[in-house]
Amino acid sequence: MSEKNIFKLTNLVKRFTKGKETLSIFEDLNLSIKEGDFVAIMGPSGSGKTTLLNMLGGVDQPTSGEVEFDGKGIEKLSENQLAKWRASNVGFIFQFYNLMPMLNAHRNVELPLLLTQLKSKERSQRVETALELVGLKDRAKHMPGELSGGQQQRVAIARAVVSDPKLLLCDEPTGDLDRQTADEILEMLQLLNREFGKTIIMVTHDPSAAKFANRVLHLDKGKFVEKELSL
Amino acid sequence: MTDLFLVYKNLTRKKMRLFLTCFAIFIAFLIFGAVSALKGALDSGVEMSADNRLVVINKINFTQPLPFSYVNKVKALDGVKNVTHANWFGGYYQEPSKQLMTMAVEGATYFKVYDELTIEPENYTNWMKNQTGLLIGERIAEQYGWKVGDKIPISSNIFSHKDGGHTWQFTIQGIFKPLDQKTDTSYVILHYKYFKETQTFGGTSVGWLILTTQSPSLNEQVAKAIDANFVNSAAETKTSTEKAFNKAFIEQIGNIGLIIYGVVFMAFFTILIVVGNTMVLAVRERTKEIAVFKTLGFSSMRIFKMILTESFLLSFIGGLLGMVGAYLVVGGVSKGLAGILPNLLIGPNTWAQAIGYMLLLGFVTGIIPAINALRLNIVSAFSRA
Amino acid sequence: MNSFLSQSFAVIRMNLLSLPRRLWMSLAMIIASAVVVTILLAFLAMARGFEVTLKGAGSDDIAMFLRDGSAAELNSVLSKSQVDLIENAPGIAKDKTGVILSSELYVIVDGIKKTSQTAANIPLRGTSQTGIKMRQDFKLIKGRLFNTGTTEMIVGAGILRQFDGFELGKTIRFGKNKWQVVGVFSTGGNVFESELWSDYRVIQNLYNRGSSVQSIRAKLVEAGDIKQIKEYIKNDPRLNIDVETEADYFSAQGKSLNYMAIFGKVISSIMALGALAGALNTMYTSVADRSREIATLRTIGFSNSSAFVGTLFESLTLSALGGLLGALGAFLLFDGMSTSTLGGSFTQVVFSFELSQDLIVQGMKMALGIGLVSGFFPAWRAARMPVLTAFRTE
Repeated sequence: MSEKNIFKLTNLVKRFTKGKETLSIFEDLNLSIKEGDFVAIMGPSGSGKTTLLNMLGGVDQPTSGEVEFDGKGIEKLSENQLAKWRASNVGFIFQFYNLMPMLNAHRNVELPLLLTQLKSKERSQRVETALELVGLKDRAKHMPGELSGGQQQRVAIARAVVSDPKLLLCDEPTGDLDRQTADEILEMLQLLNREFGKTIIMVTHDPSAAKFANRVLHLDKGKFVEKELSL
Repeated sequence: MTDLFLVYKNLTRKKMRLFLTCFAIFIAFLIFGAVSALKGALDSGVEMSADNRLVVINKINFTQPLPFSYVNKVKALDGVKNVTHANWFGGYYQEPSKQLMTMAVEGATYFKVYDELTIEPENYTNWMKNQTGLLIGERIAEQYGWKVGDKIPISSNIFSHKDGGHTWQFTIQGIFKPLDQKTDTSYVILHYKYFKETQTFGGTSVGWLILTTQSPSLNEQVAKAIDANFVNSAAETKTSTEKAFNKAFIEQIGNIGLIIYGVVFMAFFTILIVVGNTMVLAVRERTKEIAVFKTLGFSSMRIFKMILTESFLLSFIGGLLGMVGAYLVVGGVSKGLAGILPNLLIGPNTWAQAIGYMLLLGFVTGIIPAINALRLNIVSAFSRA
Repeated sequence: MNSFLSQSFAVIRMNLLSLPRRLWMSLAMIIASAVVVTILLAFLAMARGFEVTLKGAGSDDIAMFLRDGSAAELNSVLSKSQVDLIENAPGIAKDKTGVILSSELYVIVDGIKKTSQTAANIPLRGTSQTGIKMRQDFKLIKGRLFNTGTTEMIVGAGILRQFDGFELGKTIRFGKNKWQVVGVFSTGGNVFESELWSDYRVIQNLYNRGSSVQSIRAKLVEAGDIKQIKEYIKNDPRLNIDVETEADYFSAQGKSLNYMAIFGKVISSIMALGALAGALNTMYTSVADRSREIATLRTIGFSNSSAFVGTLFESLTLSALGGLLGALGAFLLFDGMSTSTLGGSFTQVVFSFELSQDLIVQGMKMALGIGLVSGFFPAWRAARMPVLTAFRTE
């Protein structure tokens, strides 16, 4: 873990307007995350953890305040610039895997590489490496429907890392899995954090999932209640 | 893997739906192709008219005769190149229902005026020598399988033969062929002189005159001169270009264009609704997937293009199949209908129009879901699903 | 059985109540069937209107004489001596002045069609007082009858609707001859209304017909009985004449627009296939949309046949709505619409689209056919949907 901040959130405000009502999620939220860290964000439903993850991932933008990534503000980028930024810097892992049902595992993993200049041969090599990493090399030709939940999530992890982003964002990555499979997935994330230096930010309900992180943040009603868990 | 592959995968994920939607488009273009061919066939007489050819008819109506003396009077006018004349014979072969378009003409001038028709010189000479000789168009020869030398009885539903009955015996002396295959040759011609001598009414009237002018620019002037020449006579004339004459004749049947465009428009409208709805639905089902694509970093414009490509692809698959279907159907029936509707074919114009409609259909059915996808907000898409 | 009915009703109710969820897909199906029905009915109404117009002109108690093989009045010619012979034929009715018989001429003149502003063929019929009396539905709407021996004419109401320049009081030129319009007549909507009438002797004179005529109409002693007359003609070699009742003559001519009905049936059947594809899409979507409900009902004990009936009923309802909408559309757009086309006698026949009840029934049959086929296969799928997978569908 380096001492450099990968994220620095300053005075972050996020409000939603729903009809005439304005719903406030964050008022003046501040947070720094170190490059190479594995952070779990916990909190009850409605605490704002998914909204925070969305803003960190550049799929949602704050009402005001700054989101600095690698020393550069991303909160003012246009939608297209954000899309490019996500493609080169962020890997996403979802609760329900979100694989494309009409594509096989190999092609699902290949998707983010369509956003690069890589030639088809190089892309295939990268996909194979990524699938090997998650232990699914022999399932490359399988359709998502033919894979178990754990296998699908591993394909999703391969997809998240295939373009070698610095940052992995995980939204309840084990929410749909049994304990044993969940632990396998979390160990894999730990491996990616330790061996490959990926910064991982994971939103979860599950305290035993949070244990795999280096740092756990508790979010409640839009405010952090920071307490280090003893590992 | 390319974007086109993704489009293809999206298109083919529900095989039944793809088949049904393509089939609906197929039907629309099948109707378009076949009905356009029908309209083209009806209009081909107008299209194939010569620029410098005029038709002189009795002002009362073209079924009323003109005096024979008009032929020479018209020939003497300035700007007139060649003049010939024709009489309607009301011909049929064996049964009154088997109509055979038959005209009594002046052989010496007929092919000068209709110079797009060719005939073997030897056959022509033989015909001119034989008063019971008959010349038949290439299409008639194909339709009935008649050859030079065949003896053919032709009956008239108007005239009676001097020897009793309504049937004349003819010998086929030649087959005339067109320079352009679209020119109608589904008729037969016999000698005017023989016709007049053998039918009971006698007389020397002709049905109508056909003439060519020195140049198309003289058409109006010549037409006016002819009509002025016979004003206040027993038989006043109405001279018009061959094109205008043919057009007016087609319009007698009714506003076929309106009927045809009505049918095609309704067919397209129906298909538009069916396909448009299906596209909207198909894309709405993929809301979450589109959100994932966007999250991964695919730009909105790229997704917009992919969806529009999908609808174009759909429109072209169905559309081209439909046009090929129409091509086969038209090819199949054109032989059988050669007698009634020659020139039943799908011309390059129809193909071009069809491609235009495919583009339009693809655009109209794809644009709404494509814009929906363009605007799709990742956060709300995920919270909806 | 009772339980099957009540189950089916429950499912039908649920399906119909869930329709707004699938509003656009359902509307697409309704509109597609409506368009198919409208097109079918437009062509059928056109052919029917034409047929009625011609058939209505023919009377069973009038014999019509034409030169043999001529098939239409236009082509026929009969000499004065032949007319004299026909006057002596048996079976023809008489009144105080002699046999009731009308010698008629039929020449074609040009009229300018309102819709296209181009010349079109209209018939100028030469007839007589006797001839006019023979048309049972004849009614003078305006003006008076033409006087014998003058170039006066009366004009059919259909001509006035479709052609320019034939209004009462107008002078019309055909070639160098001038005619005065002195009256407008109706014959109850049949083909005679598409004609101009004047004195046949004047036409004989102006059109160099000598003493010949083109057709003879004679009142029969007994309606439909032309046997004696046929026999009479057969035995006289001078009479190369065909005779049939006027009703038969016109009903044969009325068939000449049947190709329009055939064309309409073919084109709408092909379009129905396209609409069917759309309707199947709609119904498969409906089954997919309701899969959770169907599974729930199946789990609590509803039979699979009720799921089948419910789906089929939904598609029949949608297509029947489409059929009604299509029939209404055809009625509003086409019924009574006046138009004209070239009839069997090579002249314009003015007629109105006629959307009769039996045609509407044909349209509804087509709509329900679409509903039946497009409902059957999706209903089959609904009935066979296994309970478990249905629960897992999102």
